[in-house]
Amino acid sequence: MRARFPLFWMVLHRRRRMLAGLVAGMVVFEALIVLVARAVPPVQLFTSVGRGVPDSLKAFSGSTGDVSVASYPGLLGAGLVHPFWIAMQLTAVGALAAAAVAADVEAGTVELLMVRPVSRLRLLGERAAAVFAASLALNAAATLAVAGGVALSPTIHQVVPLRGVLAAGVLGFAFTLALTGPALAVSAAARRRAPVIGATIALGAVGFAVNFVAMAWHRAAPLRYLSPFHYYTPGDALAHGTLPWGPLTVLLAVGVAGLGTAAPLLLRRDLAP
Amino acid sequence: MAHDGPAIELAALSKNYGRKVGVDRLDLTVEQGEVFGFLGPNGAGKTTTIRCLTGLLRPSGGRVRVLGLDPVADHRRLAPRLGYLPGELRLYPELTGEQTLRLLGDLQDAPTTRRRELCERLGLTTADLGRPVREYSRGMKQKLGLVQAFQHDPELVVLDEPTEGLDPLVQEAFFALLGDAAAAGRTVLLSSHVLPEVQRVCRRVAIVRAGKLVAVRAVAALREERARRVRLLLPDGQGGRDLGRAERWSPQWHGHEVRLLVPPHELVAELREILAELPVLDLSVEEAGLDEAFLDLYRRPVEEAQVRS
Repeated sequence: MRARFPLFWMVLHRRRRMLAGLVAGMVVFEALIVLVARAVPPVQLFTSVGRGVPDSLKAFSGSTGDVSVASYPGLLGAGLVHPFWIAMQLTAVGALAAAAVAADVEAGTVELLMVRPVSRLRLLGERAAAVFAASLALNAAATLAVAGGVALSPTIHQVVPLRGVLAAGVLGFAFTLALTGPALAVSAAARRRAPVIGATIALGAVGFAVNFVAMAWHRAAPLRYLSPFHYYTPGDALAHGTLPWGPLTVLLAVGVAGLGTAAPLLLRRDLAP
Repeated sequence: MAHDGPAIELAALSKNYGRKVGVDRLDLTVEQGEVFGFLGPNGAGKTTTIRCLTGLLRPSGGRVRVLGLDPVADHRRLAPRLGYLPGELRLYPELTGEQTLRLLGDLQDAPTTRRRELCERLGLTTADLGRPVREYSRGMKQKLGLVQAFQHDPELVVLDEPTEGLDPLVQEAFFALLGDAAAAGRTVLLSSHVLPEVQRVCRRVAIVRAGKLVAVRAVAALREERARRVRLLLPDGQGGRDLGRAERWSPQWHGHEVRLLVPPHELVAELREILAELPVLDLSVEEAGLDEAFLDLYRRPVEEAQVRS
């Protein structure tokens, strides 16, 4: 651990094995998706179904536009909204957001930290930075794995530009920030880890389900705006090679709003087990 | 930063947890350079009070000043001058002792000049400090807790049950540390339920019960107030019986022998009365232990104890 920012380094140090496992898992998973796409062209994969691919399956390719899962960008996008990808992101965000405040309160270690000249905003700032760092590492791992696969495969590279891979990575990071903000707000107010992890999972898993239902059933379509997955569209970014600034702004705004809520909650509360 | 007033001032401090009262209008002053005992049974409000002093809890009412500062509003100015050992010491199990002390020292924002000396005095070896805290015994964790509380030589040390888990030799080293702190003009607030250790190191004590202050006394005065333990031996073989007015002194019968705890100012009159009515074969009178004096204050109704203090 380092003398500067010890609260930041400590939380990463304590979870270094989990984070290393998640980063390795992310690299292997995204590499497998690229290998599958190279081995069996997506059109061939989905024509075996015998009919056209329904619109609702765009939820699985990370698109709200015209990118079908039966395409290279759609299939690679599917690797970036796959339940496995979501589970790894939720694990990192949930564990580290819980560690921000709630875990120290639950374990009783908060007493020794906060009896020192550490302001509550510093605690929140360093711990939030640790969640951001972990999210950045996970998304960088996924982005580099996909970029490496695309660069090595001329067929895929023809339809998926590398700047699209980068744009999808940036969107992925913004998506995790949108989860992190509310998770930190729960952690700032909670006395135990469980509510933080529960809230993170609910936001991720329920958000995915809401987006899927909204795309599959037209009466539920307005609900899609409530889901972070509506704004997280890696399939579109991979196909068009551009960053969708509107959805990106929404994701970042949710993250900032969560963090903005966490600060007053932490300032007002008692900090003792 | 010099501060001329008391080290700790609590005025009508209250802390509620929802409807539950943790501390109720507690007034207390601890002078600078004093080693002050803070006593009470479990759940009396000692730890709540201490957490209000350290800024971990926000008081529901009243005023708290520690070294002239508000523990919540002036937390960053106060904390470097404060040493604290929690009652239930929780450490990060995967960090080594050395890493723990370094982490807490880095956060302290004050030079940790005494770390090596304290480790030596409390018997924490380099090998011990290199092991993860999860491998530590209760006593070793407590030693680490004491080192982190004293390592930056704070002006005020707040210790909640500091001797828990310490073996007698280390307890001696701890009392020597307290003696040095007192000699150096440091203020110590010692919360404990181990009464002899309070008697040994504190000049004054506060006793709390059910969130209220029961009494603040000099330990010497408390000694003088101690009840007398009266032992009477009766020869008639009839065992326990009604002792009339003396029943109010909670008689305990052991065969032909009865033991009573009688306040010193009532002793002579009480003995005259008993000797006039009972065929006493033998009697002895001695001072009750200090712990019995405390227990007497614990048991007494709060209002009565407060009136007497």
